[in-house]
Amino acid sequence: MSGVDLSLERLLFNLNTLAELGEEITSPKDFTRVVKSSLYMVMGTFSASKGIVFQYDQSDGLFTQIASKGLTDVRGAGLKIGKDAATAIIRNNKPIDLKSADPVIALLGPGREFLERLGARVLAFLIVKDELLGLIAMSDKFSGEDYTLYDYQLLSVMAQHISFSLHSHTLLMRLMYRYNENKGLYENLRRIYYDTIHAFAAAIDAKDAYTKGHSHRVSSYSAAVAREMGWSADDIEGIRISGLLHDIGKIAVDKSIINKASPLTSNECKELNSHPVIGYEILSRIKFPWKGIPMMTRNHHEKVDGSGYPDRLKKSDIPLGARIMALVDAFDAMTTDRPYRPRLSFREAIDEVKDHYNRQFDPEVVRPFISVIRKEVLSEVENPTIVPLMHEHLDPVTLSRILEGFPR
Amino acid sequence: MAVRHKHRETGTSVVVYADNYINDIEGEKLEEMCDAFLEKGFKKIVIDFSGTDLVNSIGVSILIGIIEKIKGKGAVVFSGLKDVNFQIFHIVGLTRHIRVYDNEEDALKESASCDGVSL
Repeated sequence: MSGVDLSLERLLFNLNTLAELGEEITSPKDFTRVVKSSLYMVMGTFSASKGIVFQYDQSDGLFTQIASKGLTDVRGAGLKIGKDAATAIIRNNKPIDLKSADPVIALLGPGREFLERLGARVLAFLIVKDELLGLIAMSDKFSGEDYTLYDYQLLSVMAQHISFSLHSHTLLMRLMYRYNENKGLYENLRRIYYDTIHAFAAAIDAKDAYTKGHSHRVSSYSAAVAREMGWSADDIEGIRISGLLHDIGKIAVDKSIINKASPLTSNECKELNSHPVIGYEILSRIKFPWKGIPMMTRNHHEKVDGSGYPDRLKKSDIPLGARIMALVDAFDAMTTDRPYRPRLSFREAIDEVKDHYNRQFDPEVVRPFISVIRKEVLSEVENPTIVPLMHEHLDPVTLSRILEGFPR
Repeated sequence: MAVRHKHRETGTSVVVYADNYINDIEGEKLEEMCDAFLEKGFKKIVIDFSGTDLVNSIGVSILIGIIEKIKGKGAVVFSGLKDVNFQIFHIVGLTRHIRVYDNEEDALKESASCDGVSL
């Protein structure tokens, strides 16, 4: 082996370690791994056989170990200091020898004995911007040499590097905590929001003894068709909400008109037919997180041939969501009892859809609607929504007969 | 074991090749491996560094860990150190505790007649 200038070699080794430490703390690796690698680098630099890194929680003054090496059992290893000690440590802000007479040592109280039991000799506190974040404790050198002034200086630099990593992690954890807290609050708000909308839907349906559950069915049928049409989860949620609220305008319609068994007079008809516009006016004042809810409500009685109300829109001028709701709203009205007639059978309702295909109902919506029914009868969907609510048993053969001659 | 270090068993000795795995915390598994060899009855462990370009501070820490772990159970010697690695081992004081041989054959020969440094 050739003779070497040890001081130069040591300098190069230390510089290399600092470079690697810098790379490590800025790497996207898992934090635990970064801390462990950093500890190993520090220990390797000073040839210490034992070492431990603690994270400090200023709320309770506790240091909790996050990485260790060479210590047999440090489970539950913890260290607690008072506020005075934390302040003194921050003010001191340099590595200390546990065996020295440094005043900070005395402030550690029982923590000093605890650290000595772990075999610690040198302490390097992790501090960023006057905030104590943690501590690295290391044993005597494996080589038996003493820590030099140069070692303390180098350890101070390494501790600063690791402090930044711990600081970033602490900030991230605080952010995550806030995020989870806000997420919880948001979930609560969302639940309240849904509960309110469901309460509205129940209030709407309560006005009409015959339409109990109508809004919920229109909501779930619309969502099923929209899903079949490949809508995004967000848009499906929008039409689901829209379905729940589509008849909200009926709140302003006289109850006797809604429940009237005999034919409506022209004025009564006018009042009843005003409900989509009233609904639109109510809902357009609300800032929904989903798009198109007021317009879906307004146009759910439009027909693709332009003979619907209130705007007499034709096919593509009618919002697609409103075209979906127009179909499922009519289908549910047909398959449930009404004051003026008993419910139609599934076959009769489908025949009505067939008869009004491309006149009242949009083929682009009828096709996925039929497809949903077919899949539900064939048990190809996990949560069927339409077929279970029919008052008759539908099997694939019967369905096939009912759908015979249906435009594909 | 995610990283299975290469090794060669010969009589009551075993040569473990450190390669560059030693420079990562995964290299710590070498500690358990050496301990397991001694448990199996091997007397000597030769850690060969001929395939190791540069031992870093993590590697040094792992080697100290190995020496501490097998303390009193057997002996460990080093071989095949490149100059730069010898210098690093010298700086951190490892050469004062571990015998170093030019190559694994020399280390094994010595191992046959001498127990190296019993730790």
